[in-house]
Amino acid sequence: MRLFDWRSLVVSSMMVGALAVQAETRPQYGGVVHVAMRAAPTSLDPADTTQPDSFARRSLTILMFDTLVTADENVRVQPALATSWQTSQGNQMGDQRWQFRIRRDVKFHDGTPLSAEIAAASLRAANPSWNVSADADSVVIERDRPDSELLAELALPRNAIAKRNPDNTISGTGPFHIVDWQPGKKLALAADENCWRGRPYLDAIEIEMGKSFRDQMTALELGRADLVEVAPEQAHRVSQEGRRLASSDSIELLALLFTRDVASADEKLLRQALALSVERGSIRSVLLQGAGQPTASILPNWMSGYGFVFPTGADLPRSRQAREQVRTIPSWTVGYDGTDPVARLLAERIALNAKDAGLSLQPTSAANADLRLVRIPLASPDPWIALANVAALAGIPAGKDSGSVEDLYASELALLTPQRMIPLFHLPVSYAASATLRNWALRPDGSWTLADAWLGAGKP
Amino acid sequence: MRRAVYNSAIPKAISKSVNRASRTAFSLRYAVQVSCALLALAITAGAVDWSGPEQQLARKIVAVTGPGAVTLTVENRSSLGRRDREIIQNGLRSALEGLGIRFVRAEQAAATVAISLSENPASYVWVAEIRQGAGEFSVVMVSAPRAEGSTVPRESVPLSLRKISLWTQDDPILDVAVLEESAGPTRIAVLGAEKLAVYSLQAGKWQQEQAMGIVHARPWPRDLRGRLIPTKDHLLDVYLPGVVCHSSTGAALTLNCRETDDPWPLVPAALSGGTVTVFPGAGSTSVPIPQLAAFYTPTRNFFTGALTPGVGKFTTVPKFYSAALLPREKYMLWLFAATDGRVHLIDGVSDQVARLDWGSELTSVKTSCGAGWQVLATSSEEGNGDSVRAYEFPDRDAVTVSAAIDFPGGGVVRALWTEAKGDTAVAVVRNRETGSYEAFRLAVACSQ
Repeated sequence: MRLFDWRSLVVSSMMVGALAVQAETRPQYGGVVHVAMRAAPTSLDPADTTQPDSFARRSLTILMFDTLVTADENVRVQPALATSWQTSQGNQMGDQRWQFRIRRDVKFHDGTPLSAEIAAASLRAANPSWNVSADADSVVIERDRPDSELLAELALPRNAIAKRNPDNTISGTGPFHIVDWQPGKKLALAADENCWRGRPYLDAIEIEMGKSFRDQMTALELGRADLVEVAPEQAHRVSQEGRRLASSDSIELLALLFTRDVASADEKLLRQALALSVERGSIRSVLLQGAGQPTASILPNWMSGYGFVFPTGADLPRSRQAREQVRTIPSWTVGYDGTDPVARLLAERIALNAKDAGLSLQPTSAANADLRLVRIPLASPDPWIALANVAALAGIPAGKDSGSVEDLYASELALLTPQRMIPLFHLPVSYAASATLRNWALRPDGSWTLADAWLGAGKP
Repeated sequence: MRRAVYNSAIPKAISKSVNRASRTAFSLRYAVQVSCALLALAITAGAVDWSGPEQQLARKIVAVTGPGAVTLTVENRSSLGRRDREIIQNGLRSALEGLGIRFVRAEQAAATVAISLSENPASYVWVAEIRQGAGEFSVVMVSAPRAEGSTVPRESVPLSLRKISLWTQDDPILDVAVLEESAGPTRIAVLGAEKLAVYSLQAGKWQQEQAMGIVHARPWPRDLRGRLIPTKDHLLDVYLPGVVCHSSTGAALTLNCRETDDPWPLVPAALSGGTVTVFPGAGSTSVPIPQLAAFYTPTRNFFTGALTPGVGKFTTVPKFYSAALLPREKYMLWLFAATDGRVHLIDGVSDQVARLDWGSELTSVKTSCGAGWQVLATSSEEGNGDSVRAYEFPDRDAVTVSAAIDFPGGGVVRALWTEAKGDTAVAVVRNRETGSYEAFRLAVACSQ
């Protein structure tokens, strides 16, 4: 099969653009957009590491906060709260000291002017290991090694600039400010009239959290929501129903993650047997309804260009051969997220595949398991950042960024060689929107933005 | 059938600041590093030299297999075309042969080399999977920068509406004014969000004469609009939300901006206060064109609806995005694209409302064909870019008089203003594929 990954990226982006950009009229001001989401974050602090990364959390963050730099739809870095930047040696590809000039005349929602001191404090909170300081109207970041990924890192929502107040409130400079916040339940936002990028078109956004995919779709059908999430396996059906659906590139990794390192040669063989037993193709067809891409790599092929090198097909004879070299076969438990509607089915199907190979795998929704079925939102379209974040989540040391694609491959191989992780699928993120919501956009990192959205009168 | 004639686009202004260059570092990281370290690709118009990555991949392969007999396959998993694929395949074979590789059938081969021509967002990625002997497996790869801005050629169709590229740049364009021209534009002004730049054509190349910053106290609206109005006594005026700038009259150009709610002129400078000829059938009549200006909302993206001095008895109309003038023998018919999506046809006495399924941008041009005046209006369908089409109004109903023209990259029309002479319009389009902004001159061709 010929894979046109770059083209599919473009086509996908165009599809997103087509759905998200309604250009038959100029943007109209006013209106309230209602959003529903499955995630239920209990903190809005971008740097709060107790909250799991999710596409929903990224989306919320960029409504209220800005980063020093941002990545546009073509993943090119653009100025945001920093108007310019320079390095000590002019080597932007890998310098240790970076200086960012802070934009003037920007105010936080509480009226405090943005300053280099506040920005530096915010970045220190998000990155305790960084050396960040304020120098007049600039923020200076000094790393312990040349960091060619710094710009891409700073564009991540978790590095958004926040003013943390003594009363535990938080303030941003983004297009919307907080009106009502009920942690894990509801968030009401209002347009910031003095936003440095210009007032957003919408008057307000109301977000309901902790809603199942089903409840979200019901809300959309009843006109109670304008933007909802769609499970990947439901995307095809929703699209066939004529809903306005937008899907990202495959930006979420579904994988089996062992909770500890390989302890013996036998265990290494058994993990190899398990990896070879999974029938990704049939799982994709049946359980995922054709969504996503089977994978044996951490990075999707569209991001790396070499993903096809990792074979994804099941090889039962080799799986059995590996298993037969081990005398005692332990019974493993595979944990899954009980709130994920398809996770249990996936775990059961993987257990069935494992059984065919002579392995014993017991699905469980309990917290303690030998391995877990996990969904990992890739942090960035930048492959090095995405890889480093997966490594951090999996507790595996990441390779150093040298910039070359061969080194990227070597780093990925190094992450997979310890057999802590068995990649299964790369999944897209899908959203459905009401007919009146215009110009909302999917970002390259799978989150949505309503900063430039507006409400039209009716069906476009 | 006759193909529409296009001139070649004016190349992008290449003067970029260090900071601007650094913005691209993120996405071009592979390209820059690999090109420095590995490749010497000479990307010329329509021809790419792949010999650098071919040689490099060949060397990497031979470093694994050594000289000898191999079987080779090449698969294209990228957006490269068939011709490029064949060129690369031949180049790889030659490079490998030059390093001592002989190509044989699989059963005679000491190694199997499967080359995949793949890609990622930043570069082409060529991967060689090498199998030797009893299951020895190696992977080597190289990357090659992409050629920039390869646009899919579009079929042109016979049009009575022609578009001529004026300017392209990455930063938003609000308006472009042609200041001097002979056979084509020789001096232009480009209005951006923060500066006005003047370029002149020298020895076939566009050179920036001057760039003047635009001073404004409050943040611009998100959907920023602006207009350049060339004038007779000084070079031009700049109209922006809540800001008006006048250029100086001296040789050294300066721009004096002030916060003001002065109304924006709606009638092309060359026509305002003069007379034009209309074609009310067989004969022709000259009619005076009164001045008309409209107040713009400084924090939004539309005109307030307040007019000065007004159209007949109407000194206010509904809030609107754009307006077009259609002189009649006895009166002026004005079309206003209201913010509610409807078009108001106002003749000074009555206000007729129409829902024409047009976009928010409309303007009019005075030509020597058809009824003498055509309205140019945008339209869009979901999933496609915007298009512009010419219409005439024999009475109060729009009649389509041209095929629709669209724009590269599924472009979205961000501005559509009549030029100073009144016979052409400037359309500013955002290319959705490249993200860049392109200004086109739109002209109605009579010889359809």
